[in-house]
Formats: sequence, structure tokens, C-alpha cells
Amino acid sequence: MHIIACVDDRLGMLFNGRRLSRDEELLKDIRALVGEKKLWVSSYSDGLFARYGFDMQICDDDFPEKAAPGDFCFVEDADPASFRKKIESIILYRWNRRYPSDTRLDPTLLQERSLTGSREFPGSSHEKITREVYA
Amino acid sequence: MKEMRQSNRKKEKEREKKGAKVRFLPLILALLLAFGGCTAPADTADTGRSGADYSTGGLVLGTESDSSPQTVSPDEIPVYEGEPFIEVNGNVPSFDDSDFTSDSFETYSSLDSLGRCGPAFANIGRDLMPTEERGSIGQVKPSGWHTVKYDNVDGKYLYNRCHLIGYQLSGENANERNLITGTRYFNVEGMLPFENMVADYVKETGNHVLYRVTPVFEGDNLVADGVRIEACSVEDRGEEISFHVFVFNIQPGIMIDYATGESSESDSVPAVSSGRQDQTSGADSQQGVIRGNSRSKIYHCPGQADYEEMADSKNLVVFRTEQEAIDAGYRKAKH
Repeated sequence: MHIIACVDDRLGMLFNGRRLSRDEELLKDIRALVGEKKLWVSSYSDGLFARYGFDMQICDDDFPEKAAPGDFCFVEDADPASFRKKIESIILYRWNRRYPSDTRLDPTLLQERSLTGSREFPGSSHEKITREVYA
Repeated sequence: MKEMRQSNRKKEKEREKKGAKVRFLPLILALLLAFGGCTAPADTADTGRSGADYSTGGLVLGTESDSSPQTVSPDEIPVYEGEPFIEVNGNVPSFDDSDFTSDSFETYSSLDSLGRCGPAFANIGRDLMPTEERGSIGQVKPSGWHTVKYDNVDGKYLYNRCHLIGYQLSGENANERNLITGTRYFNVEGMLPFENMVADYVKETGNHVLYRVTPVFEGDNLVADGVRIEACSVEDRGEEISFHVFVFNIQPGIMIDYATGESSESDSVPAVSSGRQDQTSGADSQQGVIRGNSRSKIYHCPGQADYEEMADSKNLVVFRTEQEAIDAGYRKAKH
């Protein structure tokens, strides 16, 4: 599986059980990235996509178990380190902002991979979002 | 009273143009603070920390009768444990149902007899946000203010004029009722991330966020030990934004006399209350001084070639320790 995660400057993902930020342009970028492949999300993340009118996602809280090789998984409230052996690559969206966080991405997930691509784009409410690929 | 409080930004600006002052409603604020409707969840655990009683919400305003600064006794101040903030009241804000409105507003307390700020309360909406760069605020001298520099403080200056309601949220510039003396660490590491989170949510969704910042002073101290920040998104009733934290007004490596604002270098990490030390923290005095470049993913330590140049870089990311930079995917500059 290819996991997709959004992080702040300290790899923060959540604070008080809530996402740190959101941006419509980022979701559009995910849609373009995923194309016709499957995109798995948890019930928590499904609300985010639905709010912007996206319907390409598959909502299932057991997605780490059900996702097949080649599928994409948008990870917010799950710990990707718990299914690290299934991860083929990590698509990391950086907000380039500092937010408070109490749940962070395990840095070893990145350190054990190589940065193979990076792209910057403006968000709808964020000055610059960076998409990085670790494989 | 609610109609008075729910004045929106547009109306406020119109009033300001006519020479009227921004409205301050101490009595209303006092009532809101005293009778806040939300409480900590029943399963809120006692963290076992010394200092404030977190099992009962800690730092509860109690029977505050006006909007003067919140003054507390030393044992009510949380103990700094190496993080710039600590959750209080189970991370649940204490807003009342009647606070929730889709009209933006902002209220600031009058200064007390010592010139100290009291609570600032706003309903942040897009219409409150600034449309131009912040102007000078150097003319304001908050209580306990000193202009002092240290080499181990990022940007050198120990104190910043810290907005209670951040400029990016309300566009309030040199309002003396909204500015306190705060350390660089408090401002950048403590308050700014929360302001960023609220600002970006409001900008993206067009929704509102109730946002209250309460300075906490020990006795007659002129410098606040910290601030409590409460926030809750309005339209989704806290689904996206909800927190209640105490942010420490400390500076690693610097000892502060909160009674006066005097300061001195110290090898130990200062506790929030003068004279008290956190014996458990091993944080070093270099916290807050690692400068990363978000574009190159390279970080610079004090003394390295590009360290000073990075201070003004638009790609600047500040880390408290080298390990923190490494964990975020950064590598150290060679020179």
C-alpha cells in the first residue's frame, strides 16, 4: 500500500484527536495522484473528503487490513507504524506550518526510505504545501 | 447583554472610524468565565503532576468577579516539564452554549491598577482577520517590559510584545489591552502554533472559532506565568477545533523574576514561578535555537556558517533540539 499523510513541521498529525489542518487543493492533488486506483480512508477521514464533495474514497476503519498492494491509504487517525511492513511508499504532505500536536508520524518510517520526489503547490488557504514521496 | 457582545468586526471598524473605542465588557466576560458551561469529562485522569489540580480542571477561574487579570497562588501554576504548553481541564474549553454565535466579535479587558492585561475573548471569523501587514507595536510597554538580549535566545531578544489574540486572528495591532510581556519561546513555540491552527481553519472553512486567552499572574507579579488558551469551532461545535491549554511564559536557559521582569542567564530550565525549578526536565539551554530550512531540509546550529542568515529566511523552521530537527527529516549543515 501507499500511505498518504499530512504533517506539520514536526511531523505532527493530530492534536486532541483532531486533524491539524485541511485544504481543498491538497485533496484535489490526492485525487489526481490516486487516479483510478483505490483510496482507503477511515470513517474519521471520510468526513473530510465528503465535506468537499469528494466521493472517490473507500471508507473502512479496517483499511490497513483490507488494502491491497498498490492501493492508496489516507492516514490520519491510525498509526502507520503498526502496519509498516505493508507500506510500499509514503506520500507526505507538509503544511509548512507549526501546529500543536500530540500524535506524530514515526520518523523512522521516513528514515528507512529515500526521498524520491518533491513538489510544491499553493493551497486554497495555505501559502505553500509540499508533497514528498518516500520509497 | 449578548447582543452587545456579539458586535461584529465590521460594526466595530465603523465605530472606530467615528472615534469610538473598541467596546470592553468586563462584566460580561466575568459572567462568562464564572459560569462556563463545559466541564472536564468525567473520566479526566489525574495526571499525577504537581502544581495545579488537573483532576478538577486546574486553573479554574472560580468566583472571579470582574475581568481583571487572573491571579493565582504559586501551587496553582502548572510545572513546566519540557513542553511549551500543557493541557488543562481535560483539554476541554469552558465556553457556555450562549457563547456560540456565527457573528464575529472581540472583547478585551481593561488594564488593572498594575497595568496588567485581563482575558481577551473573541469569536474569530474571516471578517476579523487582517487585510494588511502588521504595523509597529513598539510604542506599547506591557507590564514587566524590559528590552534585554541574550545570545542563547532565538532572535536575541528575550521578550516579545505578545498578542493575546494573535494579529493574524483579529488584526488588532498596538492595542495595549491585547499585549503582554512574553518570552520568545512563549510567543513562537507556545502561542503561535495554536494561532496558526485556528487561523488556517477559519481561512479554509469560513467558519468561526471561539477563542479566549487568559493571562495568569501570580499575586502582584508584572509578568504572567503563562496564559490559558481555550478554543472551540462554532459551526461544527468543536468537531474540528477544540482545546484548552496552559502555555508557559518561560525561556529555556533564562531565569525570570516574574515580579519585575528582571532576568538572568541560567544553566537550568526555569520553572514558571520564580525560584521554583523543575527537577525532572533535562532539556538543554540550546532549546529554540536550531534553525531549519523547510526547502532544503537542512538545519543550522549556532555558530554555523548560514545560521544568522537563516533568521530572516522565509523558509525558516525553528526546532528546539537537533534531534527534533532530525526526527522531522532534516539533516545538519556541513559548515
